[in-house]
Amino acid sequence: MTARLVRAEWTKLTSTRVGLWLVLVGCLMAGGFTALFTGLAGAENGTPAVGTEAFSQLIAAIPAQVTIISLVLGVIGMTQEYRHRTATPTFLVAPRRGRVVLAKVVAYAVAGAVLAVAVVATTVVVASVYGAARGGAPDWSGDTLGVLLRSGLALVVYAVIGVGVGALVRNQVAAVVGSLVYLFVVESILRSVPATSGAYKFLPGGALEAMTATFEGPDLLTAWQGGLLLLGYGLLAAVLGTLLAVRRDVV
Amino acid sequence: MRLDGPVVTGERTGVSTISSSTAPAGQVRVEVRGLTKSFGSVRAVSDLGFTVEPGQVTGFLGPNGAGKTTTLRMALGLITPDSGTTTFNGTPYAQLTEPTRQVGAVLETAFHPGRTGRDHLRVYCRAAGLPVSRADAVLDQVGLTPAGRRKAGNYSLGMRQRLGLATALLGDPAVLVLDEPANGLDPEGIQWLRRFLRHLAHDQGRTVLISSHLLSEVEQTADRVVIVGAGRLVREGSLAELAADAGAGTVQVRSPEAARLAAALSAAGAQVQTTGPDTLTVTGASTAEIGHRAFVDGVELHELHGRTSGLEETYFRLTAGAEQYSAGSPDTTTPGSAA
Repeated sequence: MTARLVRAEWTKLTSTRVGLWLVLVGCLMAGGFTALFTGLAGAENGTPAVGTEAFSQLIAAIPAQVTIISLVLGVIGMTQEYRHRTATPTFLVAPRRGRVVLAKVVAYAVAGAVLAVAVVATTVVVASVYGAARGGAPDWSGDTLGVLLRSGLALVVYAVIGVGVGALVRNQVAAVVGSLVYLFVVESILRSVPATSGAYKFLPGGALEAMTATFEGPDLLTAWQGGLLLLGYGLLAAVLGTLLAVRRDVV
Repeated sequence: MRLDGPVVTGERTGVSTISSSTAPAGQVRVEVRGLTKSFGSVRAVSDLGFTVEPGQVTGFLGPNGAGKTTTLRMALGLITPDSGTTTFNGTPYAQLTEPTRQVGAVLETAFHPGRTGRDHLRVYCRAAGLPVSRADAVLDQVGLTPAGRRKAGNYSLGMRQRLGLATALLGDPAVLVLDEPANGLDPEGIQWLRRFLRHLAHDQGRTVLISSHLLSEVEQTADRVVIVGAGRLVREGSLAELAADAGAGTVQVRSPEAARLAAALSAAGAQVQTTGPDTLTVTGASTAEIGHRAFVDGVELHELHGRTSGLEETYFRLTAGAEQYSAGSPDTTTPGSAA
């Protein structure tokens, strides 16, 4: 039952251009950051010099900077049902609405993985080619490989969070704007205020930072704790969204 | 001609199971019992109950704001009623094992504008576990095949209605529920829809429920009507019963010997009203009876036609209070200032 709902979600995703555009934008962002960081490598007040491990790990963490795209992908996946009023036919086919949300969580985790592969590949290609041209392509092994894989994984987890936020908020614009405001305004304030900075490591931003932390910065969880905490946030939002919002009357 | 409708209907009601052999999954009776729903302080539907029989087209009538859409959405599990139930052969919608294969519904024209009509249908084939070939089959059924690979956002209103109907038909359901299906259809499309729905009900034994705020829209399609006003059941019955309720229909007669015919008809027991030098309005006699009387008496006739406006008037009379209600009296609409 849920398997065919997952296939239906995949058909929805691949029959419009939204997903494709988001993957393209994600790749452009990752490629752009990679080129910028490589170009500034070794410069005064720039990034670490090419060929160093610090440089390699900095580049490997770039895919995690694109999590906003992944989040938007998941948010749109859920909220489009309300925006285009397709919630009606969707819930007519699947009256147990929790299954629809579950199917979206699974389908958008897969979509997040596709995005992650594209973004990680773009990052690796740009850094390898441009880095080599500047005298030292990153060494994609050891800790660097770990950081690269975990930043890709962050994209998968953020797509799940997007579905959860969408289920909770339902309004597409509110969900996207709310997420951006939270990630870029609220969390950065919480992070910088001493009274709340201790809690930062348990928040989505802190957990994301933990997943791809390359050096000793603020007090953070371990990478795996951060990843599981993020996934927990996504699933919690999906469950709360199902119970509080998705079950509401579709008028 | 229009008086034929109720007469045929009456006969059909008695033999509704005769052509059920091609019914897809057995016949399904829809029973609505005690549905009640309030939105905030506004009571949308009050203790509403009626039955929708298989093999017939049932019109669900009421003025705008009478609670038709809310009722249909409650019946299909999209809105949770405050109380009451709707069952399909005894089972609520949400508990049907394969709802798409038993009940098809068009509640609004809801599509992602960037998705083609065909892909829209394939999405719901997958979700319902149907072969994706059903998408092409139903596109063909509603005559939308040429537009199947175009984006639904570019469809005309009529094409959207057809795509909605195609979506409802995907699972070849025994029950079809359509909310204002004639909206946006051109006259040709309305003719087509009427024939199509009657075929589904009368020839295939399906249960068809169509809502409308216009009696004239369902008059030629429906066998039975359920009339609601202000969320309450106003009248339920066959069109023939409704017509009888209105009193027999009136017949308009024009004759150069109007006075002689009037006397003859009065003698035969009809009520005759002289409405002009050569025109009469007759109640209590059919066009056939009046024509026969004129023929026997050798009266020349220039015009003879039945008027069903009695039915229309009945509908207006039954729902008059509700219409005033939906027009919005000051105490029901609170101007909320969200800004």
